Amino acid sequence: MPKHDTPLLDELEKGPWPSFVTDLKRQAEKKPECWDILGQLELSFKDKITHWKHGGIVGVFGYGGGIVGRYSDVPERFPGVAHFHTVRLNQPSSKFYSSAKLRDICDLWEKYGSGMTNMHGSTGDLVLLGTTTPNLEPLFYDLTHNLNQDLGGSGSNLRTPECCLGRARCEWGCYDTQDLCHTLTMHYQDEIHRPAFPYKFKFKFSGCPNDCVAAIARSDFAVIGTWRDDIRIDQAAVKGYVKGEFAPNGGAHSGKDWGKFDIKKEVLDLCPTECMWMEGDTLKIDNSECTRCMHCINVMPRALRPGVKQGATICVGAKAPILDGAQFATMTIPFVEVKKNEDGEFAEVVEVIEKIWDWWMEVGKNRERVGETIMRVGLPTFLKVMEVTPVPQHVKEPRSNPYVFWQEDEVEGGFERDVKEFRKRNAQ
Amino acid sequence: MGYDPANPMVDRITDIGPPHYEQFFPPVVKKNYGKWLYHELLQPGVLMHKGESGDECYTVRVGCARLISIELIREICDVADKHCDGYVRWTTRNNVEFMVDAKAKVQPLLDDLKSRGNKFPVGGTGASVSNCVHTQGWIHCHTPATDASGVVKAVMDELFDYFTSHKLPAQVRVALACCLNMCGAVHASDIAILGVHRKPPMIDHDAITGLCELPLAISSCPLGAVKPATVKNSAGEDIKSVKVNADRCMYCGNCYTMCPAMPLADPDGDGIAILVGGKVSNSRSMPMFSKLVIPFLPNTPPRWPETVAAVKNILETYAKDARKYERVGEWTARIGWEKFFEKTGIPFTIKSVDDYRLAYDTWRTTTQFKFTSHIK
Amino acid sequence: MALSRDELKAAILEKATNAPKPQLYVKDFYACDPEAKPREVKNAANDLVKEGKMTFWSSGSTTMYAAKGRAKDEENR
Repeated sequence: MPKHDTPLLDELEKGPWPSFVTDLKRQAEKKPECWDILGQLELSFKDKITHWKHGGIVGVFGYGGGIVGRYSDVPERFPGVAHFHTVRLNQPSSKFYSSAKLRDICDLWEKYGSGMTNMHGSTGDLVLLGTTTPNLEPLFYDLTHNLNQDLGGSGSNLRTPECCLGRARCEWGCYDTQDLCHTLTMHYQDEIHRPAFPYKFKFKFSGCPNDCVAAIARSDFAVIGTWRDDIRIDQAAVKGYVKGEFAPNGGAHSGKDWGKFDIKKEVLDLCPTECMWMEGDTLKIDNSECTRCMHCINVMPRALRPGVKQGATICVGAKAPILDGAQFATMTIPFVEVKKNEDGEFAEVVEVIEKIWDWWMEVGKNRERVGETIMRVGLPTFLKVMEVTPVPQHVKEPRSNPYVFWQEDEVEGGFERDVKEFRKRNAQ
Repeated sequence: MGYDPANPMVDRITDIGPPHYEQFFPPVVKKNYGKWLYHELLQPGVLMHKGESGDECYTVRVGCARLISIELIREICDVADKHCDGYVRWTTRNNVEFMVDAKAKVQPLLDDLKSRGNKFPVGGTGASVSNCVHTQGWIHCHTPATDASGVVKAVMDELFDYFTSHKLPAQVRVALACCLNMCGAVHASDIAILGVHRKPPMIDHDAITGLCELPLAISSCPLGAVKPATVKNSAGEDIKSVKVNADRCMYCGNCYTMCPAMPLADPDGDGIAILVGGKVSNSRSMPMFSKLVIPFLPNTPPRWPETVAAVKNILETYAKDARKYERVGEWTARIGWEKFFEKTGIPFTIKSVDDYRLAYDTWRTTTQFKFTSHIK
Repeated sequence: MALSRDELKAAILEKATNAPKPQLYVKDFYACDPEAKPREVKNAANDLVKEGKMTFWSSGSTTMYAAKGRAKDEENR
């Protein structure tokens, strides 16, 4: 495949940020189809429009996910990208790799694909960009036999679950995000690889309310770490912060002179529940008022840590704006311990998941995310389905209209009445 | 033995899932798993995590394009082999993290990274602009209204100084999605760059019969704007097709995804909207959605100067005005959106007034407001 | 009486082969056995794909089913 002139893309080789154009050109020296990627992208820059077509029946046999069909709409000019399917590899939990594993993946992709990847896709997969239909089965064979790896999800499947790095390298992981993510990924291989639902379904696991994988904004099923006892305080370290021995927020503001650390202004006054105060140089917290927002812990990581009675809050139904508007996940289960049973399963979490699925598979409409189904039927109905006792924590505020749908058995004497009896007392 | 096309089912392996994560942990991570005490940032892009054991894990975070070649991954492996016992990880924002277990190993790693041109910028920690997450755009997607990698490259070049420093009031998350479907979480980002279409789909009556299931195309429309119709194709034959009620179309492209005979992309119609003030973290305030402040900027490849300037203006106005720890959305909540528009100089237009579902929640139902230059 | 797995699969394949619409959502098969749980119907349909009698069709975001050869696709146009 010949090189194409790319005067527009060449402009993106300038500047301090790493250039994907430079990188593509480097790859093209070994994988000439990359010249056609560059050529077609240059055409898009010129035409201000995409040149890809999508969809279809491509995939590996028996799987309904993991491969997304992609075709050029100018294949005569760029035959190297005429077929250019996406392959989604299920990433290891929290995206740690050995160089040996990565080199194996690179070799596989040099053999069967374009050499270009996304590290990583928005859902978390390691995405291999661009291969042909005849290459899919051989690639899958080598992937499973030689690399001991598998594809991720796409379509109306459980999408590849994703977690934060949690306890691997963070002091705030309130449950083992990697273990839960990996265990559920293995438990639900069928749902990841074959369609099961009215539409996509995403799991995301964050270890604390800072929510580094955006679970509350992006996942149908968000498990977000929390605790239900007292924030652990090291009073000596509090004094260290007050004296200026430690930089607040771990040094996150080091590039600008914000003045001397002021614990009242930077911690106490920014606490959303105003549940903290100083008695002399001792920090006090009324933990019963705390909503575990993480601000004080973020600012003074040496002095404050989440409590020891740790677990997670489960929120359900987040999604991007299409169609009714964006939704954050709704707090459904205030606290679960996130513990494995003797069979190595997170049975309590699995039970919650399957209650949602059994109901949503039945009542969800085609292409309706579970958050939209909940919106359509109402939170009260969903809480009944989930067999969750309604608590004030489920709402920001009680409803402001009185339009309660009473059940007949909740009203004394039921709905059936005798109008003749009524007329004896109340003439027309 | 490899794959045998004559016997594709022989020895087939399926549903084995991803490799177990633990085998990829550097020794210091494995040893201190679940026993970390605190962390600090030694400089932008360099973190130190302290374990209860007294162990220290030093992490160097570098920015990285999302679209990368296996050649670059191999180079990353070379760095990992040389300095990090062969371990490396990626963050959820497409940064690469190299970890070492002693402070003395940090500088040689930084020097090595620096020696490799501009491939590995160190930063993206603390009160910075971290890496801009994004979607595929023109490199690989069928419905984009703009490019992704190109716009992000241009934006990150301009914001580079904020990636490599800690001088902002708080972290600023910039994200790009190349159409309304938002494969990335741009709807809860401090600054969101969003590709938007502005023309209803065309209908290819000659191709629709072979390409599409009409009921799917009709039911894919969230606003019921696609209806069945009998029309003449270019051969003059009556065929079953669809028509689009242009007044009801919101240009989401759902119909095109289900029916490729309804393309809607257009060089002049497509461009970028800017949304501001979203956040995901529960820290201090609750998670917030990003709000639309600029309804349209044109697609101007290769470097999208209008979009770059708009993002930089919002970032620098915020940087100058916000208090320490305040995220963009917390700053706008404190000063009020009327002040946001005044301070940034962004013209307020009727396009920012919601008329979609649940719109009423965003209208002002109080006499409390600020007199800004908007009120003559 | 709920159908047996084999009877359910036969009913699904019959529908996928003869329905006016060549591509169907999994929900379209629920009517093949109103007494079956959605999960059973889904598993039966996926079995038919494994047996090569049906294929998946995916837009990338949504997946549908078709009897072998009935799906509209770039490569069999």
